[in-house]
Amino acid sequence: MSIKLEIMKINLFKNPFIASFIAVLLFSFNSVAQEQDASNFKMRFNFKTIKQADDSRLLEVNFIGQNKEDRKDKIPVVGTEIKFYNILNEEEILLGATNTSNEGIAQIILPKSHKYLIDENGYINLIAKFEGTDALDEEEEEITVKDLHLELNLEEIDSIKTVLIKAFTIDSLGVETPVEEAEFKISIQGMLSKMKIKEDYIEDGEFEFEFPTTIPGNENGDITVFAILEDNDDFGNVIQQKTVNWGIFNKQIKEEGNTLWSEAAPIWMYIVLTILLVGVWANYLYTILNLFKIKKEGLNITKQED
Amino acid sequence: MNEIARKRELVKEFSPLLEKTTKTSKIWIGFLIAVILVGVYAFFVQLFKGHIVTGMRDNVVWGIYIINFIFFVCLSYSGAFISGILHFFKTPWKNSVSRIVEIITVLSLIIGPIFILLCIGRLDRLHYLFLYPRIQSPITWDIIAIMTDLIGCFIYLYLTFIPDFAILRDNSKNAPKWRQKVYKFLAINYQDTTEQREKLHKITRTMSVMVIALAIVAYSVLAWIFSLTLQPGWNSSIFAPYFIIAGLYSGISVIIIAMYLIRKYYHLEHYIRKVHFIGAGIILLIISLLFGYFTFSEYFARWFSHKTHDTDLLNTLFTRYFWMFIFANYIGVLVPIVILFFKKLRTIKSITFAAVIGVLGLWFNRYLIVVPTLETPYLPIQDTRPEFIHYTATWIEWALSFAGVAAFILFFILLMKLVPVIPMSGIIDNEREALKNKKKTHKTISE
Repeated sequence: MSIKLEIMKINLFKNPFIASFIAVLLFSFNSVAQEQDASNFKMRFNFKTIKQADDSRLLEVNFIGQNKEDRKDKIPVVGTEIKFYNILNEEEILLGATNTSNEGIAQIILPKSHKYLIDENGYINLIAKFEGTDALDEEEEEITVKDLHLELNLEEIDSIKTVLIKAFTIDSLGVETPVEEAEFKISIQGMLSKMKIKEDYIEDGEFEFEFPTTIPGNENGDITVFAILEDNDDFGNVIQQKTVNWGIFNKQIKEEGNTLWSEAAPIWMYIVLTILLVGVWANYLYTILNLFKIKKEGLNITKQED
Repeated sequence: MNEIARKRELVKEFSPLLEKTTKTSKIWIGFLIAVILVGVYAFFVQLFKGHIVTGMRDNVVWGIYIINFIFFVCLSYSGAFISGILHFFKTPWKNSVSRIVEIITVLSLIIGPIFILLCIGRLDRLHYLFLYPRIQSPITWDIIAIMTDLIGCFIYLYLTFIPDFAILRDNSKNAPKWRQKVYKFLAINYQDTTEQREKLHKITRTMSVMVIALAIVAYSVLAWIFSLTLQPGWNSSIFAPYFIIAGLYSGISVIIIAMYLIRKYYHLEHYIRKVHFIGAGIILLIISLLFGYFTFSEYFARWFSHKTHDTDLLNTLFTRYFWMFIFANYIGVLVPIVILFFKKLRTIKSITFAAVIGVLGLWFNRYLIVVPTLETPYLPIQDTRPEFIHYTATWIEWALSFAGVAAFILFFILLMKLVPVIPMSGIIDNEREALKNKKKTHKTISE
């Protein structure tokens, strides 16, 4: 055990990644992990890009180790440097580099104004790289996306609340080309997560639908609507959002019922009380009448005896 | 003819109880009257000076008057309940205890409501309760329930007394004239004919059912006075059955104590036997288990749900009222359970001791229901002063409370002077029944 610890110490000084990885392994909730090393884990290196509502682009790598025997046992690779590139043929431009977080996630955001290298078909080639260490092999993943322009408009047309979506690409000459077909969904912001209200296909770059009239919105009646393309082969992830005051304030109009502190008692109370009292008092009366009968009978007997 | 002789014999046997007053009992009666007179003095002090002479203030508007009221009224309801059950199911050993139970029922139902009157600040407005009643108020339900129950209990008690009045009327030629007149008036020409007897049995039986039902309704209404409010410690859906069980607990305990005292001081060992104590003890054991269970459920739910007001209440109970809480809800429940659970411990004295502990525990349990809740109210009280929050009963309240207890005992003694505490008619009935069975057996054998 002490030898093991010594090795760990050496590694700790040699390479911060190993240290952090072992630290994660050691303090993992799964106690078995303490006995395992990196060879038991299959490395998962997932790269994705999301075009956000403000037209900036998020590049994200999720770097985790997955236990080969127990797939649920996932350990994030913490503090490793991930580099992001934009490539075209031989040209390679470093977009940025960042370390993975405690969750094993590395993110960079490229502003709307960023000029990408685009190939002749309009695709942007993006690569995320991990250069490898003594313990972990290098990883690389490439994605190719077209720069999609997603427009979300919320308008009242003939007093019908309508969601209008427009999706198109712009070539180098500035010509808009509508998207032929793409699956998308419309969500609204719920208390904890997004709530899906529609899932359909954009055809010829446009789609419109009637917004439901039963959604309450927040306390001001505001609703945040999202148009989302998810893991699209051509465009990756694209999100567009807008907030509109379309909420139907769901005030519960309840008339105050007849309560115990109101002026008159509810009718059932009178009925129940009357039934109970009449029942009881009728029985008293019956008893008293019988007592009189007993008295009368006694009186007759006394008279007869006399 | 045989029956008439037997009746005469019984009157002869019980007449010392009715006519003779020993020196000890004279001193005892004198003492009780003295206690009552102190109470009367306290009442006048309260009447002229107002409720400032009591410990009740803005926060705690219900003190030991209400606790005594609940205690006595619950005692009465449980008496009615037990008496109804004894009659209705024709319990074999009921004869020795039934009259004790009936007297307890009526007396506590007279004494209990007096404490409500003592608690009312403006007695001059009492008639408003009847002139302007609010049917939706549980207080109104309680007034209706108590009055109906009181009248029902009176009628019921009177029905059970009639045959004995008749026996006494026919066999007290040597008694004072006034006594003869009273017996004659109250016996309503009852001659114990088969027809009269059957009629009386029928109406007594109906009234016994009525009295059981009334007791349950009245108990629940009393509990609702508390549980229909939002006050911490009161707002509970199990309060009505909890009150029924608590009432039965005190009721049976008081019956056991009364049985012990009557047996000892009136030398009725022949009629009130160990078997009666064992029977009552076992019922007390069952009720104490139930009472403990209800008490636990009540406080456990409050502690677990952790509502702010309930937490405040529990903090008060476990600090200011710690020992009272321990006595009322631990000692007051567990000691009777331990004594009554083991067969070897079940002697007349130990059963009576368990009953005394039960009664005291229950009185303090009532105290803990009423006072700490008012000290930690649900709604804050405007402009309250620190000295108004905590309640301590003054001598006026104690004097009136003891006067109530003294009046209860005094009336009990006086009632026992009017009618024997063991129903003679019951003894005759039992003997008649035994004779009938004997004849039947003879007939079957001879055939």
